[in-house]
Parts: sequence; structure tokens; C-alpha cells
Amino acid sequence: MTEKLATLWPEIILFTCACVVMLLGLSERLGVRRLCAPVSAAGLLIAGLFAFYKTPVDPAAMLPNLPVFGKVLAAGIGLLILGLLTGIPDRDYEARVAQGRTRFDPKRTIRSEFYAFFLFSITGLMLCAGATNLIWLFLALELTSLPTYVMVALSTQRDKSLEAAVKYFFLGAMAAAVFLFGFVLLYGATGSVELAQIGATLRHQASVEGGINPIALAGLVLGILGLCFKIAAVPMHFYTPDVYQGAASPVAGMLAFVPKAAGFFALMLLLTAPGWGWMQPGGPGGGHGSLPTPIGEILAIIAVASMTLGNVLAIMQTSVKRLLAYSSIAHSGYMLVALLAGPGRPGTLLPENGYSAILFYLLSYGLTSTAAFAVLALLERKGPDGQVHEADDFADIRGLRKKHPALAWVLALSALGLMGFPPLLGFFAKLPLFASGLAGGHLVLVVILGLNSAVAAFYYLRIVSAALLESPDASGHAEGMVQTPFRGRALAGYVGVLAMVAMVVLPLLSAGSFLHVTPASWASFGGTYKDAAPLAIAPRLPSPAKPMGAAPTGEGPMSEDAPARP
Amino acid sequence: MTIPTISQLPTTLAYANNAYLPILLLLLSAILFAVGNVTISKFLGPSRKGKVKDATYESGVNPIGSARKRFNVRFYLIAMVFLVFDIEIIFLFPWAVTFRNLDMTTVDGGVWLGRIFFFIFTTIVAYVYGYRKGVFKFD
Amino acid sequence: MHYVAVSLVLLLIGTAGLLLRRNIVIILMSIELILNAVNLNLVAFARHHGNAAGQVFALFVIAVAVAEAAVGLGILLALYRNRETVQVDEIDLLKW
Repeated sequence: MTEKLATLWPEIILFTCACVVMLLGLSERLGVRRLCAPVSAAGLLIAGLFAFYKTPVDPAAMLPNLPVFGKVLAAGIGLLILGLLTGIPDRDYEARVAQGRTRFDPKRTIRSEFYAFFLFSITGLMLCAGATNLIWLFLALELTSLPTYVMVALSTQRDKSLEAAVKYFFLGAMAAAVFLFGFVLLYGATGSVELAQIGATLRHQASVEGGINPIALAGLVLGILGLCFKIAAVPMHFYTPDVYQGAASPVAGMLAFVPKAAGFFALMLLLTAPGWGWMQPGGPGGGHGSLPTPIGEILAIIAVASMTLGNVLAIMQTSVKRLLAYSSIAHSGYMLVALLAGPGRPGTLLPENGYSAILFYLLSYGLTSTAAFAVLALLERKGPDGQVHEADDFADIRGLRKKHPALAWVLALSALGLMGFPPLLGFFAKLPLFASGLAGGHLVLVVILGLNSAVAAFYYLRIVSAALLESPDASGHAEGMVQTPFRGRALAGYVGVLAMVAMVVLPLLSAGSFLHVTPASWASFGGTYKDAAPLAIAPRLPSPAKPMGAAPTGEGPMSEDAPARP
Repeated sequence: MTIPTISQLPTTLAYANNAYLPILLLLLSAILFAVGNVTISKFLGPSRKGKVKDATYESGVNPIGSARKRFNVRFYLIAMVFLVFDIEIIFLFPWAVTFRNLDMTTVDGGVWLGRIFFFIFTTIVAYVYGYRKGVFKFD
Repeated sequence: MHYVAVSLVLLLIGTAGLLLRRNIVIILMSIELILNAVNLNLVAFARHHGNAAGQVFALFVIAVAVAEAAVGLGILLALYRNRETVQVDEIDLLKW
């Protein structure tokens, strides 16, 4: 019991920090209230450093290196998103208080809730990465998403964000009920809530009965469907564009990363339990590495549908936020291809290890999408009705280079990064998706992934051309755009893009050891993989590295975005 | 009469037949009594209609307004606060039951104690937060 | 295994309510119903397997259900103050 606690220090730090922030924001003194954001940043920084240097790696755990990477990723991208979020809570209210038009009343402020809920959400994400059993996983997922519902509702004072919150909450609660039912069926089928134990029981049952237990199968399917909500994949994707558009841009930027990462961590853990060694007729052992047949098929359908639908609908959008929402659906589809490929046989490294590919992609996606949303959050204009509008439509960013050249470049670079344009990080993140898909033998999926990337290029290039090449249109929206006075947001944008660019230049190779996520005890499970043809284009990685427990020496890519505090 | 332990409680239907028969009879007679009385008075009693007769009975006073009145939203806050502290108990209770089995001199025992203190600490934070927000203020 | 049957029925009622009803409060109640189906299942499975994990899980599910209800009702209350409605089909500002 005690050793489990030792892995949780980052979460405890973050949680305590959230409690402190919750009380700080209610203070009568403006100076103390202002401390919310810096204290949150400090908490995230300390938690991230703690996770990086002090998290013990349990070599017997199911995915020994996932918690470390997941927590550092959560803290690092969390810092960027925190920068993005600055300035949302109490903007008008504090202005009124400062002008002396009203006295400060703790009842009216939302500052403390906003930052504390953000920290709670990140805590949930970290817990998700370290989950070892179903109860823990369920609670972590709920801790991740419950605060986000409230944050969507609080993000602007308009009807739209409330409506977005209602949609998000109800679909989210339904999805939670669905995956919870799945978890319960898994427990019912195996009699255990420990993921490793569940895996062992399933394989044992399969070797006796010659197939996966149908109740467990139903449980896994329900679990996957419910988690599709978190990652915004197809059967549960309806909310995405509405919620992204209804919420303020910074919160939308958070929604693009935090629940998605949590969902993918959960999916990885959930699918590692049955494992990849299922051959169609004979159960575990031998054959190609694949998931139990129906699950593999369902995941493949979800992946294809998400990619295609997301990209096709993204083309038709006139709102950049909705476009990014649909592209977020498509990105989930891409990552599901790697999920389907699985981690490969023990010792498989980055380009062919699907899990590592997902984690690397999450890192790249987190940086680039945060940067893209930061640009949207940084621009606003006063409408004819006197209301402040955030940048949303293409008309708002057309010809952005004329007035805000730096922002235009950030937006263009992040769009190119999301697209996977060759010299940028997105490209190096997408390659392992292809490579792992090929290694897993999913040629059709990989081809569809390639086609979709080409389709996606169309709308990403539209953003790039709107921002850099075109001139403002007659609506005058673009001319009216002014930069919001929040340095945190600008910092998030610049740091996100710089990290994205720099990570390609910096030794990307050491990521191989950091991203080395393989199930620990698979040797007995005979997960023999078809040998993939060596890929000439795949980035070369060092040979299997030292165990993660020894802190990687200094300049890993992660240590470089961690100090990026707003 | 002694309270039976769990293993002594009836488990089969055959046993239940004898033991629960009186209760069933009581239940039936209660239902019959209630339904019967209402029915009989409907048939036998006099029935006069009128504006005053059909009005809502409010202890003899003239009724004011609709019964479907909205409550102050403050009650919602109170309900929420109640729920939070109510649900704390379901975690404290199992902990308290197993607490006796813990050896406080070992590290494990100390960690268990520390955990529940941390849990209570979060409750206190929630309390202070609610207090600052003015949930407990009635004016 | 009657318990599992009952819980399945509860799940179906909950899902039907979720999909068919227009009143948001009833939708919230349907979700709570599904969570209760889950709890029943958990306790039944715990009894079946003879371990306490299911019961512990049920406790946590109850707590999460409460948190969810608190958040949901809070959002609903805010919505009602803004829009004066709790009907799903009248919430239509955001459309694709």
C-alpha cells in the first residue's frame, strides 16, 4: 500500500495546490487573488519535475513507463494550457471592481473555481496514466471530465457556453455511464478489478474455452464506446464542434488535449488487459498479434469513420474553431490506428511500437493545438453591438499577417504542424503511426490514414493561406481584431510553436527511451509479431535503452517544454 | 425476543410461508381498511359541491397563491452542501469499521491514518470554501 | 443472476429515458438510473465472486453519481436562469 503512494506524489502536490488556489481566489485583496495563476503554475511545475525525477518505475506494472511519461506530459502541456486560460475568469468583474463600481463579493467571483478545476482536471489526467485497476481508472476519468463541464459553463458569460456545457455534460455523463457499465461487466466476467489480474483471467479463460469470454467482450466494447466520448471519436463525436465553438477558445484548447489524453491512456490500459496475442480461432498464443476479433474490428471501424468523417466535415466549415474540432476527431482516428497496432512484442521501439507512437503524437498534438487555440484566444474584436467577439470565423483571420505578423506565423506553423508538414514535429509524430500500423499488419488502415492526411492538408492549408497570403475581406472583421492583453496566452502560443519546432532540432532520438512503453510481462503471452519490413523513412532510434527509472539525462524533449511557464 | 443473527434469518420460501403470514395478513387488512373506508364514505356520506367546498383546505384560512411555488435558489446550495458532507460519510464509515484492525505502530497504519486525515483536510477546504462563498449566510 | 436481469432492465429504462425524453431533468434522472443499474450489478457480482471489490466500487460510483448530479443540476440551474427552459429541443443556439 505504501509503495503505491510513492508513485502518487505529483498528484498529491497538484491536488493540494488546487485546494490552496481554491481558497486564494476568494481573498478580499486583489494581490492575493492574482496569485491563483502563478501558484497553479508553480504547482504544475513542481508536480512535473517530481514526476520526471522521482516517480519510481514498477517493472512489474502492466505498462511500466506510461505513468512517468503521462504525468510529465500532463504537467508540461498543462503549463501551456494554463497560460492559455489566463484572463478568462472575472475579466469584466475585476474591471468593475477596479473602477469601484462594485465591491468585491466572493460569491460573484469564479477565479478560484476556474484555476482549481483546471488543476483537478490535470490531476485526473495524471491519475489516469498511473491507473492499475478499474476503480482507479473510472475515478480518474471522472476527475478529469467533471471539472471540464463546469469550466465550459464558466468560460464565457454568453448563452452559448452554457448550452455547450449542457450538451457536453449530458453526453459526457451518458458516456461515463456506458464505460462504467463496461467496466462492471469486465469485473463480473473476471471477478477482479485489477487490470493485470483481469488480463490473466481472460487469457486463462480463453485457453480453457477457446475464445474470449462474451461478458468480458461486451464489457470491453462498452468500455471502448464510452471512452470514444473522451477522445472524441466517431459514435460519440457529436458534441465536439458545438462544445468547442460554444466554449471560450482557451477552454476549447484545453478540451482538445486533456480529455483526449485521458481517454487514450485509459484505452491503452484497458486494451493491454486482454492483450494483442489473440488469433482468430485459437485464442492466445501464436499467430499475428491482434486484439480479440470483434474488438479489433470495432476499433478499425471507429478509426476509419473518425478519420474520414472528421476530415470531410472539417473541409466544409467556415468557423476555425469548428474546423479544429473536426480535425480533433480526425486526429483521434489517426491515433486509433496505432492503438490497433498495439505495442508490439516486448522491446519494440518507437516507430513500430503503437503505444509509443500514440504518446509521441499526443505530445505533438498537445503542443500544436494549444498553439493554434492560443492564437484564436489572443484575437478579439468589438462587434457593432458592443460585445467582444473572439476570433472564430475565417473572416476573422483572413489577412492576419497585415496587423499581427507574429500571430499569423504561429497560426500557420501550428496548422502545418497539425497537418504533419515534413520538417515540423507533426511529421515526425505521424510517421510512427504509419510505421506501427504497418508493423501490426493493418495495411488498409494505413492507406486510409495516408489518404486522410492528404484530405486534411486541404483545410490546414486554407488556414495557412488565410493567415499569411490572403488580404482582409470586406467584412472588416479582420481589421477590427486586436490582441488581448494576456501575456500568458501569447506565451502559450509562442512556446508551443517554438517547442514544436525545436523538438525536431533537438535530439528527438532520446525520446525513444522515454517513450518506450511496452507491457512488462508479455513474454509468457506469446505476442509474436509478424516481422515488418524495415522502414527506410522511419526516424532512427537508439537501441533499447536503460530502464526509465533512472532519470533520463537532462535534455530530453520533455525537459524543454516543462519550464515553459506562463 | 432476541434479534436473530444473519445466519438465522429465513432464507427459504417454505420457512417464509409460516413466519411472514401474519405480516401479510396485517398488510392486507390495513389495505382493506383504508380502501374500504374511503369507498364506503363515498357511497354513504352526503356530497355537496360548491366553490368554497372545492377550494384547497388550508387549515381554515383562505389559500394564498399557487402550491407550485418556486423555492429560493439558496435551498439548492444548501442541498448541495448537504450532499457533499453526506457523501463524505460513506467513505469514513468503512474506514472506521476497519480501523480497529490496523496496527498504529507500523508504517502502514500511520499511512492509513494519514490518508484519512488528508481526506478530512479536503473536507475542511470544502467547508472553508463554502463559508467564504457565503453558503452558510442567511440574510 | 436475477439481479443482473433487473439491472439490465434498469439500464434499458435509463437508456430509453435518455434518448426519448425531452425534459433535461428527466434525462439527468435517467442517467442516475443507469448508475444505479451499475451499482446493483456491482453488488450482485461482488456476491457472486465472493470478494468485496465490487462493493467498494459501488461506494465510489455512488459518490461520483452525487458529484455528477451536483454539477449537472448546477449547469441546469444556470441554463434555466438564462433561457427559461429545460426542454432539450429548445436549446438550439449551436448547430452544425
